[in-house]
Amino acid sequence: MTSLRRTATVAWAIARKDAIAELRGKQAAVSTLTFAAVVLLLFGFALGPDPRRLADAAPGLLWLGLVFAGLLAVGRFHELETEDGALEQLTLYPVDRRSIYAGKAAIGVIAMLALGVLLVPLVAILYAVDVVRALPVLALTVVLGSIGFAAVGTFYAGVTVRLRAREVMLPLLVLPIVAPLLLAAVKATTAALAGDPLRELPAWLELLAGFDVVMLVAGAGTYGFLLEE
Amino acid sequence: MPQTTIYASPRSVGAPEQLPPGVATQELARLFGGNPALAGVTLTIPAGRCVQLTGPNGAGKTTLLRILATAIRPSFGSAAVDGLDVAAQPELVRSRVAYLSHATGLYDDLTARENLGFAATMLGLERTTSTEAVQEVLEEVGLADVASLRVSGFSAGMRRRLALGRVLLARPSLVLLDEPFAALDGSGIQLMERLLDRWHRSGVTALVASHASEHIAAHADATVQLDGGIVTRVTGEGVTARPQQRERAAPPAIEVTT
Repeated sequence: MTSLRRTATVAWAIARKDAIAELRGKQAAVSTLTFAAVVLLLFGFALGPDPRRLADAAPGLLWLGLVFAGLLAVGRFHELETEDGALEQLTLYPVDRRSIYAGKAAIGVIAMLALGVLLVPLVAILYAVDVVRALPVLALTVVLGSIGFAAVGTFYAGVTVRLRAREVMLPLLVLPIVAPLLLAAVKATTAALAGDPLRELPAWLELLAGFDVVMLVAGAGTYGFLLEE
Repeated sequence: MPQTTIYASPRSVGAPEQLPPGVATQELARLFGGNPALAGVTLTIPAGRCVQLTGPNGAGKTTLLRILATAIRPSFGSAAVDGLDVAAQPELVRSRVAYLSHATGLYDDLTARENLGFAATMLGLERTTSTEAVQEVLEEVGLADVASLRVSGFSAGMRRRLALGRVLLARPSLVLLDEPFAALDGSGIQLMERLLDRWHRSGVTALVASHASEHIAAHADATVQLDGGIVTRVTGEGVTARPQQRERAAPPAIEVTT
């Protein structure tokens, strides 16, 4: 088996295992969806009925919901490994540690995309924005943003997985690092929903793609050291 | 497929002398927060031997096993498995070692079959052979009837059997067993003894930390006693500890007067 194929096989096995465990346990799914829905609903009430105001706030609130719910998801996928010595066992398999990172990041991206599929229509309904016209660009923005967030979130979930206060530490470590990603994602979403009048969309998407590449390479290169005890 | 396929060792039983030692440590030490759990263990175990590790709690048995399994790195000294340094070539060592620790390393929300299927993929078994191998192992450890049930509903003994199944899937040349008889019932103990015998006959090196001497005695070639992070006694043939430390004197009794 070639090295690349083996990496992909191991990454897929880890992502699949986490997905099965989460779909059965539903611990992260319930909390993340409830949290994101409540955030969107409360801000919708707080901003009032002005359609312009709601539409202006929609991109920021979409990403607020995605990021905080995503934090719960990536944390949960590492928490699964704290069951009965599973993390140690995972590190003892004869696999490249980068494939473990790839698997954990992949399930993080899948979770974020699933959240995106649910939250984008919710935003469209609650904030009266036309997402259908901008759907392809909006989808690309969510995909790029999810990859970057999962790349960073997975790395820091690895940093905090052995800590007792991991639920507190994870947002504190992740949020400052993903600030450029959030800025670019919100700007790209705003431009996409407005029809990109200033032709700024490509630049924001390039920034997102660049962030993704840098964080994926850095995460894959260093994640293995986090698993050392 | 004959059952021996799974358990066949990559090692030839015929000429163990030509092979590097199954386990070799040199002044191996490991500190935890400045406290030595291992304090300079030099030990050589020829390939294919079954060795019992004994000693009181805190003697360093689990630490030694975890270093050999590459779960933790040595603070000082070196350790090698089949001539491969555990610190310098951990990935190669992992492909030869299977470790059964106190914790089972199982996922509660997965079924027994899914847990072993995941392990088979991680161990590099091809999909075409892994399904068959998993089924064979489930039957061997007596869990074939409950293979489709989630592990969260398993007893401690069943979890232990399933973790043992993962060891069998690995086809290791060195098995490291930490209190393998813990939580096992009568048939589980028989299974463990049968496997020890099979590993012994197929040339797999086994290092077993256990107080259950009555179960291991028939299989162990030697016994290594640890205390306070050093080797205090070696009995049996083949295994060498250099320099073998003298057994520590018992602490003086304290007389309490009122």
